[in-house]
Amino acid sequence: MDAPVTGAVSLGDCIAVGFGDGSVRFFRPGLAHTVTRAHEGVVLCMAVDGDHLLTGGDDGRFLRISLDGMVEEIANFGTKWVDCVTASHGQYACSSGRTAYVWSKEKTNAIVLEHVSTVGGLAFDEKGKRLAVAHYGGVTLWERKERRWKSSKLVWKGFHGAVTFSPDGKYIVTAMQENALHGWRLRDKGDLAMSGYPAKIKSLCWIGDAPHLATSGANEAICWPFDGKDGPLGRAPVCVADGGKQIATCVQALSEENAVFAGFRDGAVLLSQLDESKDAIVLKGSSGAEVTAIAVTASLSHVLIGDEKGHILWSTLWAGGSNAKSV
Amino acid sequence: MDNSTQVPVTVLTGFLGAGKTTLLNRILTERHGKRYAVIVNEFGEEGIDNDLVVDADEEVFEMNNGCICCTVRGDLIRILSGLMKRADQLDAIIVETTGLADPAPVAQTFFVDQEVADRTKLDAIVTVADAVHLDTQLEEHHEAEEQIAFADVVLLNKTDLIEGDSLVRVEARIRKINPYAKIIRTARCAAPLEEIVGLNAFSLDRVLEVEPDFLESDHDHDHDDDITSVSFVSDTPLDFEKFQTWFGKLLQTRGQDILRSKGILDFEGFDDRYVFQGVHMLMDGSPMGAWPEGKPRNSRVVFIGREIDNMGLKEGFEACKAA
Repeated sequence: MDAPVTGAVSLGDCIAVGFGDGSVRFFRPGLAHTVTRAHEGVVLCMAVDGDHLLTGGDDGRFLRISLDGMVEEIANFGTKWVDCVTASHGQYACSSGRTAYVWSKEKTNAIVLEHVSTVGGLAFDEKGKRLAVAHYGGVTLWERKERRWKSSKLVWKGFHGAVTFSPDGKYIVTAMQENALHGWRLRDKGDLAMSGYPAKIKSLCWIGDAPHLATSGANEAICWPFDGKDGPLGRAPVCVADGGKQIATCVQALSEENAVFAGFRDGAVLLSQLDESKDAIVLKGSSGAEVTAIAVTASLSHVLIGDEKGHILWSTLWAGGSNAKSV
Repeated sequence: MDNSTQVPVTVLTGFLGAGKTTLLNRILTERHGKRYAVIVNEFGEEGIDNDLVVDADEEVFEMNNGCICCTVRGDLIRILSGLMKRADQLDAIIVETTGLADPAPVAQTFFVDQEVADRTKLDAIVTVADAVHLDTQLEEHHEAEEQIAFADVVLLNKTDLIEGDSLVRVEARIRKINPYAKIIRTARCAAPLEEIVGLNAFSLDRVLEVEPDFLESDHDHDHDDDITSVSFVSDTPLDFEKFQTWFGKLLQTRGQDILRSKGILDFEGFDDRYVFQGVHMLMDGSPMGAWPEGKPRNSRVVFIGREIDNMGLKEGFEACKAA
């Protein structure tokens, strides 16, 4: 078995893919893909910092990688894994154990932010002024005031993993250890509990201008509306890309078309508009290997799909795309 | 999920000085031809350089699912998920717990997190006990008693430093707390690794191997706060509905005091044997094949825990008999 695909991100017209053997592969339209040896073990997390890729691994290293494969070590935490990474507006952050490290543009040394438990997720807001850190018991919200980071707490029992700000910065949402999402309305710290999922939510993404938050963890892509005064409070989600008996494991936005890709546990991938009356398009059939990553190039020319057995499907997205190939 | 794709996980408990580190060093350095990942807490001063040693902080999380005693090891969920993404297939994973830690959250992690349950399986809880000092430790620390109670295997170490009579007494003490654990006598943890790792002790199949002999034996104890075991046998078939109602409520209300439970049940109207095993209030049960021909069908259950005499277990079990 090949090393599983652990993630994929889009850097302009290049897609970077992380693998369980520590390698990163770069895919560009019309070119052969390139391979970079990055980590000793698993590439655990990836983020885009301008025209560079940031990765964290189970070898304790936090790396910056250029598109031509130059690897620079930003930090090394030894036997402690680098679990989460994020970047925004020239600043970047990673977490190892209970600690988040933030590097700002003007400084070479990281600012060290401690938390009550291991960090489950990291996210900057759109402006890069706030950093949300998810952990056991809720989220610590760090706000940059002149030269210092000040914290406030968003409390909700249980462990919180992946975390994200809504594009307008009004909400924070986390994927929990339980089969549920939790959200906070930041103006009054009001809670939004979104439960009822049959499986753990491993993947979430924002779609469109009146944004919907699309999530995996059910047999369809569950898309919560975050427009209006109270967001999803008291409203039903839009449920599209029905996978039958299969559970979605990966979602990715195609905002320009107000659509979502949903990858499933059996390897199938559907593309659907956020409209329950429309049928989904089948991009890829069942293969038996769980979909672990989906990414689209900035020009929307190509889509990349990766699975737990290390297979990559790299294909043009629109009609005429008969040059799909597995790598 | 196919069992063969699940990596077995051995949970290693035991007090400081009992010999856990000696055993871990053997697992990491011996030429056994297997790939074992070891999850440790503050790996000692030996400083073994091995990419399969993972440093963890024991983080016990309460689940937000309304059940108060449902605690899991958050760090394990994270690390096991990460290890499953490795390119190389691991033969087994060994999780070291510190001497004072309660093994329950580790065991419960394998029942509660679906992804962990899909990709890995709890293989056995192995407790390393110091034959010389176990008596004193049992008197002074209730954790020592719990570690014996949870064990599938007790590695009774340092037996070369103790007289034969005392050894028999220590074993009897272990048996009183936990009659179904396998006891392996060793010096310097020199037991064959295949008797420690890859045992499949948590498989429901293994419940069937519970010896009827000790099930029939009665129990006795000195203090109310002691951990003891109790077992019942019924030749009359049980009523499935009645049993589910009673057992569900029992685990819900007394699960904190019931450390382990196991059973093979004969339900009226069921052709197959029904087998279960539990850790605290979490239980895994399913039909498990036909009854052996020519042998009597009967139901047998074992409970290990605290205050189990005050739970009305016998009456509850009796009341499950089909009318």
